[in-house]
Amino acid sequence: MMADSGSEEIAVIGNTDLTSAELENNIKNTMVEIEKWTSVLRKMEISVGEAEKRTGKNTVNMQEIYTVYLIETRPVDAVTEGIIPAPDSLWRRYSEFELLRNYLLVTYPFVVVAPLPEKRAEIVWHKLSADNMDPDFVERRRVGLENFLLRLASHPVLCNDKIFYIFLTEEKGWKEMVYETGFQAKADSRLKAMNAAFRVKNPDKRFTELKHYSDELQTVVSQLLRVRACRNSQNIKIEAAESKKLCKIFLQRVADRLYGVYKVHGNYGRVFSEWSAIEKEMGDGLQSAGHHMDAYAASVDDILEEEEHYADQLKEYLFYTEALRAVCRKHELTQFELEMAAQDLASKKQQKEELVTGTVRTFSLKGMTSKLFGQETAEQREVKLQVLEQQIEEGEEAVKEKNAESDEFVKTAWIDIEHFKDQKDRDLKEALISYAIMQISRCKKGIQVWTNAKECFNKM
Amino acid sequence: MSACTPKSLASSGQKPIQEMCHPLGAEEAVLTPSPDVRNLTSSIGEKDQILTNGTPVETSSPSSSSSLLNRLQLDDDLDGETRDLFVTVDDPKKHVSTMETYITYRVVTKTTRVEFDLPEYTVRRRYQDFDWLRTKLEDSQPTHLIPPLPEKFVMKGVVDRFSEEFVETRRKALDKFLKRVADHPVLSFNEHLNSFLSAKDLNKRQGLALLSKMGESVKYVTGGYKLRGRPVEFSAMGDYLDMFTQKLGTIDRIAQRIIKEQSEYLAELKEYGPVYTTWAASEVELQGPLEGVASCMANCSIALDELTQDMSGDFLPVLREYVLYIESMKAVLKKRDNVQAEYEAKREAAALRKEERPTAKVPTDVEKCQDRVECFNADLKSDWDQWQNNKTQDFRQLLTGMADHNIQYYEKCLAAWDLCVFQFLTGHLHRRQKSEED
Repeated sequence: MMADSGSEEIAVIGNTDLTSAELENNIKNTMVEIEKWTSVLRKMEISVGEAEKRTGKNTVNMQEIYTVYLIETRPVDAVTEGIIPAPDSLWRRYSEFELLRNYLLVTYPFVVVAPLPEKRAEIVWHKLSADNMDPDFVERRRVGLENFLLRLASHPVLCNDKIFYIFLTEEKGWKEMVYETGFQAKADSRLKAMNAAFRVKNPDKRFTELKHYSDELQTVVSQLLRVRACRNSQNIKIEAAESKKLCKIFLQRVADRLYGVYKVHGNYGRVFSEWSAIEKEMGDGLQSAGHHMDAYAASVDDILEEEEHYADQLKEYLFYTEALRAVCRKHELTQFELEMAAQDLASKKQQKEELVTGTVRTFSLKGMTSKLFGQETAEQREVKLQVLEQQIEEGEEAVKEKNAESDEFVKTAWIDIEHFKDQKDRDLKEALISYAIMQISRCKKGIQVWTNAKECFNKM
Repeated sequence: MSACTPKSLASSGQKPIQEMCHPLGAEEAVLTPSPDVRNLTSSIGEKDQILTNGTPVETSSPSSSSSLLNRLQLDDDLDGETRDLFVTVDDPKKHVSTMETYITYRVVTKTTRVEFDLPEYTVRRRYQDFDWLRTKLEDSQPTHLIPPLPEKFVMKGVVDRFSEEFVETRRKALDKFLKRVADHPVLSFNEHLNSFLSAKDLNKRQGLALLSKMGESVKYVTGGYKLRGRPVEFSAMGDYLDMFTQKLGTIDRIAQRIIKEQSEYLAELKEYGPVYTTWAASEVELQGPLEGVASCMANCSIALDELTQDMSGDFLPVLREYVLYIESMKAVLKKRDNVQAEYEAKREAAALRKEERPTAKVPTDVEKCQDRVECFNADLKSDWDQWQNNKTQDFRQLLTGMADHNIQYYEKCLAAWDLCVFQFLTGHLHRRQKSEED
């Protein structure tokens, strides 16, 4: 829906707290910029290349080492006459990605925003450390960050965001720009509101179902990855001591066991070699069979890499469930605000009625005191009435606004959710097929190795 | 008559070795009398030289029967064609009596040998009977390597003696034992084997057997004789056996470790698969693929379970039995050493006496010892060669078996995943068709 028009409506709806002047300004700016970048974004190659270490002073003025990632962009249609122009590039660190995402979450509350890869090495693969500086971790994070950017660029709404565009194209001054949007304040207030306990009287059934679904998905994918805090990890051969307090991983456990099976076969390689030394006839056959056993054992590294890749795909959707739930929660908040506004209006109307008819149906201190200390003057009543009428007018406006806001939210959110569901179905189906194909390849290799070994044994 | 011909020959009515038609040779084959007879005729002096120098005792000249046997037996083709004694151990059955419960096995014999009255026999034997047979063979053929039996004692609390697995493993080992004995050129003609295979009731005369065993062993494990020069080839055999035992031990440990790792992997898989089923329940589009993956995992688990069972049942027991076989072989080597040591000691004593009384004859018991040594060496060498040959075949079979089990496992998994992908694609096509039709 939104993909083609780059419509300014979206930017406006997100910033509901802006004044009308600001709104107009925004529209002007976006209209100018939109032409410039929407077409480019849709045809832009984005990649996250190398990673480098930097040192610098952090917010509390202490020295720290951090990793930066190279973001390269290049228009797709810039490849003319076979000459590929050099890409534009800049460096960003993880915290800037986080800032971008937080900005988007607040600015587009109805969008299921793609998740970032883990901040800390919490879900540790079977190898070693939980160290953020570990090269494998950095590499996998790089891939995750690239994936994140690609998700944003292919999202019909988010791809048009100016802040996103600048993130990709201008290294300096981006952070300041983001803060200038004032999203932080909104973020804080929204965060407070979302964390507050409130109950919606008439929840939208679809959102309730969506919340249930995301809970179930989270449970199931967690089980597959078995992300669970656990006290003793004796089943896992992770060397790093810190990892003992980390999560136990299921796919990792399956992978660990598989690793064990393959690796022990390597011992056959060694013993066959030793044995062949004391044999006359059997020697050659044993020796060559031993080599095949070594090859078999070594093949597990590639296999585990592929299993890791599959796990990463599942992990992304595990994190997506959080984004899903966030949208549901935001909707609830909107609904709640609407209900509050409606309630407020209703009570004001009630008060007016009572004032006009002179009957006191609801208890009020004013009512009591006026009863006790005498009625108000007609003037006083008139003033009060005027105030109330003003308030009612404002209240009706507020309710109308909130209603419109809610409707718009539901409409846009639901479109995005359908978009998300389609994406999820596509991605996971592809992941499952790839996984199956990988297993097929593994089986074929296994058959090959053992057939070779069998030939050697036959020659003994 | 040399001391090395089996005692049973004289008493049972079997023909002496020299007159027997050898199973592997045609009647006109150049079968000179056995080495021991030939050696008697050569001068003792020569023999002394060879033995004390420690050089290999060359008893297998081209015309000696044992070497002919060796060459013929190494040729696999001949084996099948000329074998005339076939034995099988099968059909285990449980017997319950008031005193005890035990298993008997059916032993079927098919033969064309004249030593047997009938061409076919079927008898029932229990482990005890096999044990009796082996003891008798050891006693009557002390210079030969007797194949081992599976372990006699089983810890009652730990292993179930009547479980299908245990009984089957034992049956296979007993079958192997009998086959090896039946294939042995000398042992297969033993009268006790004949009784074992054909008699309705084994008249075991355990008591007597025990006595005679003691008598024999006293002869062969004589104390106090120190071996001077062991022939190189026998030392080499001993070294080889030590190293081989070590390698087998390592392989056993590796195999066990693999089985353990596979079992743990299997346990994880069994938990992992069903999660896909749970997931499928909350999905619409993905339900088909997810359920496909779940059932595929289930099939792979079954295949893995079968692989582990096969390795436990087929691979490990055979490996362990070879260790026992090596122990037997080492024991025989030791006996040979003792016989040689005894001979050397007696010879020295005789030499000393000769110095004192130059005219005295060489005492007969020294000659007897010499015969024993040479006989033993010859038998041992021919047995060794056959053992090596069997070992190569056995391990070839064992290891190709292991490879086969693994290949089958992967083929089963491959089929499961192929089906999974097929279902993905056809389901996808089906849905596409449906949506096009709508």
